[in-house]
Amino acid sequence: MDIATLGGQILGQIPLGDIVLYLTPFNLFMFAGALIFTTLIAISRTETQIEAEFGSLKDKKVKVDLEEFKIRRFLAIVCGLATAGAMITGDLFNFTLFVALIGIVNIGIVSAVKQVDVLNAAYQYGLVAMIASMPLFAGAALILGATGTLSLFQLSQTVTTPMMYFASLLLLMGIIGETGVAPFYATKAEMFRTPGSPFILIIHLSSLLIIIRAIEILLIINKPF
Amino acid sequence: MLVPELVPAYTVSLFLPALYAGLITGFIGLLAISFQKNDLSALILTDIVGLAMLVIVASVGTDLAEALILPGLVVELAEIMAISEILMSREMRKTGKTAPLLPFPFTADMEIMTTAANFIAVILVVYGVFLSGFTGGAIAGGGIIFYVISRKSRGLPIKIWEGIAGISGIAWAIWLAGFLIFFVAPDYWLLGLFMSAFGILLKVASKMGLIGVMAREEFKRE
Repeated sequence: MDIATLGGQILGQIPLGDIVLYLTPFNLFMFAGALIFTTLIAISRTETQIEAEFGSLKDKKVKVDLEEFKIRRFLAIVCGLATAGAMITGDLFNFTLFVALIGIVNIGIVSAVKQVDVLNAAYQYGLVAMIASMPLFAGAALILGATGTLSLFQLSQTVTTPMMYFASLLLLMGIIGETGVAPFYATKAEMFRTPGSPFILIIHLSSLLIIIRAIEILLIINKPF
Repeated sequence: MLVPELVPAYTVSLFLPALYAGLITGFIGLLAISFQKNDLSALILTDIVGLAMLVIVASVGTDLAEALILPGLVVELAEIMAISEILMSREMRKTGKTAPLLPFPFTADMEIMTTAANFIAVILVVYGVFLSGFTGGAIAGGGIIFYVISRKSRGLPIKIWEGIAGISGIAWAIWLAGFLIFFVAPDYWLLGLFMSAFGILLKVASKMGLIGVMAREEFKRE
């Protein structure tokens, strides 16, 4: 599908060598949204959870200590910036790298917690993300092999071959695994129970935005209509 | 045709076999994970799937594909380190014990550590600076590590390595600025080339020197 049909009028492009960024209202809106949320996270403090104890009437207060807070805030900002980058990029190569970075950083955000259950979930999610990096990179490489370019601008003008359908399928599998949406959601659900709410939310937001952008990119590559 | 004329037909015909080999390798890896479900085996077997990714990307074989391989490899390494760290911290939390960075004793009781240490370190560092770039950084860093190890094995103090992480960070910024020049102002490519070459030289050398500093507590431990 045409870039202008999907994202609105093309406002301009930034040519950096063979990496060409294009600006549409759709991309700019999502880029600004990701940046605003990242700023909010950078200046906010963590929540404190109150857990009910099993078998008694007492409560337990779960706090995040300063060192853990700093690491988590840094990783959350990196995750937000990677999301913003994935929204604005006009290059499949950069998109792939941003998605892989988000996968790693998501593991990092929850890796410093002390609950064994959460660590278990993070471990399972890490395995899924690592396996998913195979279809992700393989999909990008096969699109490169089939067309000779990874620039979305040029990909929107090429004729789609069966190899590109296969590659898009691999790419979609990779993105679903890295961001941990629908079939892999069970591994991520436990991770959200960690104390430290705004930083955990960026995991959720990044996967939502990435999926929307991925759909746009897959429509640009495959041109089904 | 996408492939230029000067590429031999035999090389082009290798693409599909390499692609199938990668997919089959990935499938075998996933099959193995489904048989071996305990945590450590799953982690190690996941690496096979990562290797399959490298095979598929390498089968394309252009310069852009090479640019995909390097981040792919780094992503694999970073993920396997992060996941093994999670596994370790979970086990530590379960058992209540802690484990050091290098859990085994390291002794270097060799003659070369006392006789030729300075000479070899200087040669490695000079040769590394002459090479420049990533390779040069690795060689110069090897020289620095060798110097640190030999001083440690002679029982001499090592105090000059504090703050070397700062050099590494600044060198990395120079490297990135050099790359930015390539994209923004291609006319100044020579400046960009030299900035990135010597930035990465300093970065890799100081990084490897840093490994020596980090590990120095572990040397000579019986």
